[in-house]
Amino acid sequence: MNAVTLALPAETRARGESLWRKAARKFGRDRLGMLALGVVLAYFIVALGAWLGWWAGGWADLSGTKWEPVSSTHWFGTNIIGQDIFDRAVFSTATAFEVGLSVALAATLIGAVLGAFAGFFVGSWIDEFLLWCMGVLDAIPFYLFVAAVAYALTDNPWAMQVAMIATFWVGTGRLIRGEVIKLRGMEYVEAAHSIGVSEPAIIFRHILPNTGHILLVQASITFVSAIKAEVILSFLGLGIKDGMSWGLMIDESTKEVLAGFYNNFLAASVLMFGLVMAFNAVADALQDALDPRKVG
Amino acid sequence: MDQAPTTLDPVQGSNIYANFVIVNAYDTLYSYQYLARPYLLKPNLAVDFPVVSPDGLTYTIRLKKGVRFVDDPCFADGRGREVVADDFIYSLKRQFDPENQPQGAWLWQGRIAGLDEWKAAGSDYAQPVTGLRAIDDHTLEIRLTRPYPQLTATLAQGYSALVPREAVEKYGKGLGVRPVGSGPFRLVSYDTARVVMERNPNYRQEPVDLAAEGYNPATQRFSGVEALQGRSPPFVDRLEFNFINESSASWSSFTKGDEVQLTVLPIEQIDRVLASKRPVTLRPEYAARYHVYGGLEAGFVFTAFNMDYPDFGYNPDPERERRNKTLRCAMIKGYDWEARNDSWYFGLGEYFPGIIVPASPEFDPSLSRASVTRDVAGARKLLQDNGWTAENLPTVVYGTTAGTTERLFFEQFRAWLRDIGFPREKVVQKTYANFGDISRAWKKSQLPLVAKGWGLDYPDAENTLQLFYGPNASPGSNDANWKNPEYDRLYEESSVMQPSPERTALYHRMNQIVLDDCVAITGISRTRIYLWHKNVIAVPDREILGGFWLKYVDLLPEPAVSPTLAKGG
Repeated sequence: MNAVTLALPAETRARGESLWRKAARKFGRDRLGMLALGVVLAYFIVALGAWLGWWAGGWADLSGTKWEPVSSTHWFGTNIIGQDIFDRAVFSTATAFEVGLSVALAATLIGAVLGAFAGFFVGSWIDEFLLWCMGVLDAIPFYLFVAAVAYALTDNPWAMQVAMIATFWVGTGRLIRGEVIKLRGMEYVEAAHSIGVSEPAIIFRHILPNTGHILLVQASITFVSAIKAEVILSFLGLGIKDGMSWGLMIDESTKEVLAGFYNNFLAASVLMFGLVMAFNAVADALQDALDPRKVG
Repeated sequence: MDQAPTTLDPVQGSNIYANFVIVNAYDTLYSYQYLARPYLLKPNLAVDFPVVSPDGLTYTIRLKKGVRFVDDPCFADGRGREVVADDFIYSLKRQFDPENQPQGAWLWQGRIAGLDEWKAAGSDYAQPVTGLRAIDDHTLEIRLTRPYPQLTATLAQGYSALVPREAVEKYGKGLGVRPVGSGPFRLVSYDTARVVMERNPNYRQEPVDLAAEGYNPATQRFSGVEALQGRSPPFVDRLEFNFINESSASWSSFTKGDEVQLTVLPIEQIDRVLASKRPVTLRPEYAARYHVYGGLEAGFVFTAFNMDYPDFGYNPDPERERRNKTLRCAMIKGYDWEARNDSWYFGLGEYFPGIIVPASPEFDPSLSRASVTRDVAGARKLLQDNGWTAENLPTVVYGTTAGTTERLFFEQFRAWLRDIGFPREKVVQKTYANFGDISRAWKKSQLPLVAKGWGLDYPDAENTLQLFYGPNASPGSNDANWKNPEYDRLYEESSVMQPSPERTALYHRMNQIVLDDCVAITGISRTRIYLWHKNVIAVPDREILGGFWLKYVDLLPEPAVSPTLAKGG
């Protein structure tokens, strides 16, 4: 328990309000941020409904004929084989969240742990090795790397996510490494050392919790990057294998647009634009709210 | 055209792009009647059809006299010499000389006496081949190891074009960019963007006889070909092939007016350009400027069940094997050809029962269309009556190459199977990076369903019937790995017969066996729509006829421009 007490910077407690609470208060005052959060939540509810089978269950059915226009039965019309574009667009929202959440969580977690180790053991072989790994991964062009992973993991539905996680953790890792180098010299860490707390315990219980604000912002940025990458990769045929996504819809639309049919393209683009914009705004607002130099 | 040929040497001219140019630069012994559909052979450099010995093993072919190669420095005095029977023998030997990396040897492998032995002995051109003999300069004798009724058709393929030995010796591999032949045109220039050819001034005088070309006034008068009657081709002085990969680019060049004059209508423009599809007619603004012609492909698209898979095909348990057949039949009933045609071929394809395609002369239009008419209730009942339930239905793995269209093919197929009772998770897609990969999977019998297309090499249903001949099982062309003794017997019996009503009757019986055994979901022939400017007289084709029709292209006097081809699709 001593260690936990030590983990909280004394001056913060003295003022009676944590960084998180202050940040929440600041975020609450950010109107654009709150609006964006509302939009993201709305998307999330849409995705949740698709997961639970409340709606969009007919995304794979041939419920109409080829290229039907917008109507009361088909809100966004139908595609070339008569599937309902609205259902497919809604179902794709769930896919976007699946990809975004899984990649953001895994990449942030890996980035946090590896970054913390590199930072804590700065200058040692662990740090050297991890920095080398980050350098190598940064040096490989992203889309070539994904293509290679997708090819190596043929038929694995997680190939795209694996490739994204394998590259997206690097950014978080570097940031956390820098932050940990700063934190490891702080008094409370030295104190933990001096009373004999083990190194893993110092990293996981004392240092990492104090990088939470960076991780939250990084996770939200990774979420947006993952959604965008998924759309591009699915468009290139490297992404979603069994299912539906906005990238696949835009891919479907390439021939349709030449024939003057825009529904697939518009539905997927507008929905993706909305979610990416909203999430970007949320990430910005979080960054502002959690910036220690601004909080206070 | 949408792609450029990589070589113009007949020995390697394996694709349609190369063949288009090759048959215009070189002569083949036979070609196809310009206007006859289904396609019919006609003598080209040969005087007449071959005289075949009663045992079907010896073919005697007479060559036209006085035909000359184009003038070229490779000849002694720069003047093209006469084409003789030895040129044919030499050209065919080239297909069996590994030095040339030949692509067409499969047409004659194991068929012509002594040719394979000649290759095994080191492909020495000084050595004779027992089955290829020039009786005199204008008479050729081909001896076969067993009857091969399709031989004449193989002599209409670019692979068998007559190449002069002098040119090969002078240019070597350079022949690939510098054809020296006796065809209606001679090459002016060739690069990856275009091929330019000009009229061969030495080309033999052979007035057009429309009746002999299979002219059908009812469907072809609009093209103006009647103006060709009695005149000798080629009619245009200069021919330009533009290779434009992007269909929208070739379309804008075509509609611009003074560039490309002949094109295949890009599929995405169909609704904008066509007023009706059956028959194919243009909207008024296009009809004022262009001719249109919808030609059915000489081939088809089908999905075969791989009988090696115990879930669908042969099974050690006879009862299960019987039930498997009901499963296959139900899947065939559940397939929606009309929707497939509508989604992917703009309703312009022709779907038909069985494996004898409409472009084959043996096609039987009177065959029952039950196997291509969707019957969901019938399919469900068939499954139910034979004990199939959502729980015990096998998983269907649908292999495709990676791509949007292929994924939608799969989604459409899955939805049809769901209609007849398959749970969604029991229909899965397996993707392959490219056509080569999926071909290998077919050849290794790794996929339970084989969804593929087949283009005819010659207008004879034998070319599609062999796709289901037992001994052709994987890695051969019988991807279904179907072995039916009765079918195989009929195939063997018919394969040595000359075209005749008796042979056609055997073909029809074989076709019916394929249908009765529910071996394949088949099939559809797609339609290509050709558009050309009104001042061009032509009936275009890129199927079996290939480039043979270009010598018949003519222009109306105004405006005077040379015909340029840019065919997409």
